Amino acid sequence: MFDSLKKKLQNIKTKFTSRIEEVAGPEPAAIEQPALPEAAKPVQPPAQSSPEPTAPAESVPEEKREEPTLFNRLKVLVREREVLIQEKDIEEPLLELEMTLLENDVALPVTDEIITRMRTDLVGRHRKIGSSIDGLVVSTLRSALCGVLGEGLDLCTYIREHERPVKILFTGVNGTGKTTTVAKVGHYLQKNGFSVVIGAGDTFRAGAIEQIRTHADRLGIKTIQHQDGADPSAVLFDAVQYAKAHNIDVVLADTAGRFHNRANLMNQLGKIRRVMKPDLVVYVDEAVAGNDAVIRADEFNKTVGTDAVVLTKADMDPKGGAAISIAHTVGKPILFLGTGQGYDDIMPFNPSVVVDELLGGEA
Amino acid sequence: MLDNLGTSLKDAVKRLAGKTVIDRAAVDELVRDLQRALLSADVNVKLVMQLSQAIKQRALEEEPPKGMGVREHVLRIVYQELVRLMGKPGEVTLEPQTILMAGLQGSGKTTTTAKLARYFQRKGLRVGVICADTFRPGAYEQLKTLCDRISVPCYGDPKEPDALKIVREGLPKFRKLYEVIIIDTQGRHALEENLIEEIININEISHADHRWLVIDAALGQQASEQARRFHEAIGIDGVLVTKMDGTAKGGGALSAVAETQSGIVFIGSGETIEDLERFDPDGFISRLLGMGDLKALVERAEEAVSAEDLDVNAILKGRFTLRDMYKQLEALNKMGPLKQIMSMLPLGGMQIPDEAYDITSTKMQRYKVIMDSMTPSELDDPSIIGGSRVQRIARGAGVAPEDVRDLIKYYKIMQRALKGMRGMSGGRFNMQRMLKKFGGPSR
Repeated sequence: MFDSLKKKLQNIKTKFTSRIEEVAGPEPAAIEQPALPEAAKPVQPPAQSSPEPTAPAESVPEEKREEPTLFNRLKVLVREREVLIQEKDIEEPLLELEMTLLENDVALPVTDEIITRMRTDLVGRHRKIGSSIDGLVVSTLRSALCGVLGEGLDLCTYIREHERPVKILFTGVNGTGKTTTVAKVGHYLQKNGFSVVIGAGDTFRAGAIEQIRTHADRLGIKTIQHQDGADPSAVLFDAVQYAKAHNIDVVLADTAGRFHNRANLMNQLGKIRRVMKPDLVVYVDEAVAGNDAVIRADEFNKTVGTDAVVLTKADMDPKGGAAISIAHTVGKPILFLGTGQGYDDIMPFNPSVVVDELLGGEA
Repeated sequence: MLDNLGTSLKDAVKRLAGKTVIDRAAVDELVRDLQRALLSADVNVKLVMQLSQAIKQRALEEEPPKGMGVREHVLRIVYQELVRLMGKPGEVTLEPQTILMAGLQGSGKTTTTAKLARYFQRKGLRVGVICADTFRPGAYEQLKTLCDRISVPCYGDPKEPDALKIVREGLPKFRKLYEVIIIDTQGRHALEENLIEEIININEISHADHRWLVIDAALGQQASEQARRFHEAIGIDGVLVTKMDGTAKGGGALSAVAETQSGIVFIGSGETIEDLERFDPDGFISRLLGMGDLKALVERAEEAVSAEDLDVNAILKGRFTLRDMYKQLEALNKMGPLKQIMSMLPLGGMQIPDEAYDITSTKMQRYKVIMDSMTPSELDDPSIIGGSRVQRIARGAGVAPEDVRDLIKYYKIMQRALKGMRGMSGGRFNMQRMLKKFGGPSR
């Protein structure tokens, strides 16, 4: 996942850089020439020289230590002759960035926000002659992406820090892979030394109880289940009681998929929430979802709350824009990525690693 | 957010309506809003770009047909291009056939298989279902439970790991007994090569007549790629869009249609087994754009209401009589709800009081009946209508006197609104256009 986005972003980064360089390049030289005709030459390639090591994250090279080289003395002479990045200078790469994000399934409103952020961050910024443009662009893009992806969350640490049993409720629309995710998370937690019980809270879909029980049996996890059509709240309440009685660390509660525009089903989820009092509500959606991802993530967050997100089917999609969309909308950390059909195909999600990878590991 | 998109698109259309000649900026703006609407409906970025290029080119190059306004012209182009993009609805024949279902994990294949079985069953065909999903736990139970509810036989074996074997054994048995056979398969995606291999084999041994791809309405830009791979593997000849009962717009299905050169056959729109609809392009377009029924709008605009219907000049002179209102109501009746029409008209900043909109079609009908009971002199000069005339008109029309007074009140509001328009700045020519529009698009 993210591979194609990464490639595209690299291209665009260069575009930004060259665009800004283009504007930046000849201008200062032209200004300086009449003032200091004899000193013009050494100043000429200001853009190529990037004397400052690229600063990490936010610290955009705005204030710089000047060393008393000839080069810098000249710069002091033409003091305040900085390059002002204008909107039209970056319009084209911005447009391209917008298209790239859209093509990679980053939802429209989220794309808009990233673009706006980039624009306000870059336009009107005084770029001193010679400061690294690359660093400026990368750090702006990085902070825009980081701002959108937010912090990560380590489930194991979370469980260790909280009173047992830790109750985790899985929600989401139909067919996103909740049941499979419950099984995978169960397996992941077992591997990390926690005991797990699963509540078969999807009592609606035909075959759902079968499905989760088969998974659980294979993994050697106890399932609490009622029959088809039972009240899911009751099932999950029982699961919690079982965990308390048997000193089990984690309760994983599966639920039926439901659409966010079905008030009754959402109310049912509200009831489940009240009855089992989950510590974490985990919203499950698929990485291949498009713009609707934003709408439904938002609705789920509003009606039943969301504490963390799991993105499934990440192996289907080399793009991964939905991750950015959903994380941005909900403003909650992404817990895991589901990356395949096996029980081990689940990967903790670390936003800064992802951003680093997207931007080519530098900056 | 969705409403905003629809609104901005409508605004763009509205701005276009004020123009007498096609103006590049206005078209650009419309195209941009259209792009945004389509992109947020998950239509493939490249398709959107192609589409908007085509629209822009045609809108700027093609001369509007005589008598057709600029807005109607552009709307028609937008509509035609969208329909072209959509392709024809996929064909569904009611004869013995074998259908192979394919799709990504969790796209709703199993549910849709049962819904399809129900569809053919209701059309009077004998249907059998084969469960070739040997991977997902509970898949057979799910399909079996759904099929049991509608008494459709379901072949399968949850303990058999070989999907091919199930198809090979089940198909001959079912072919003897049933007319329509639907094979449900395991969810797979294009990057899982052994699974793609499997479905190629299933397709070969089953000799399926149709290979339908199930697409989740929420599927984003991946739709193209996935559809392309599936198409390469087994040759998709129909697309089923599921989960259209959510808020997703199903733009991904369009990408799939474009990739596979097929058409959308059905739309799944609910959790019960009956919730399967044949595909309707117009409804789909409306939903994509988040704006009312575009086709109806285009058709309505094409339906000419002649200028003589409304004596524009008389109204300009300040004479707006009940007779004019009668014609106006008649014209509007042909056009649809008043507010919808008004929203399409180039009334720009003018404020029509809300009460003026507050007239439903039944009310409109009643108004006409009341006016039918008036004398010509009353219609020409409503001010002569006093208490006793109200009584008479009410009796004649079979309504309460309040209704007659209601009509007169409505008339006065309209009259005031029109007076306001007269006082507005802007040339006389514009005013005339506006009033013509007010009565319906005139040629």
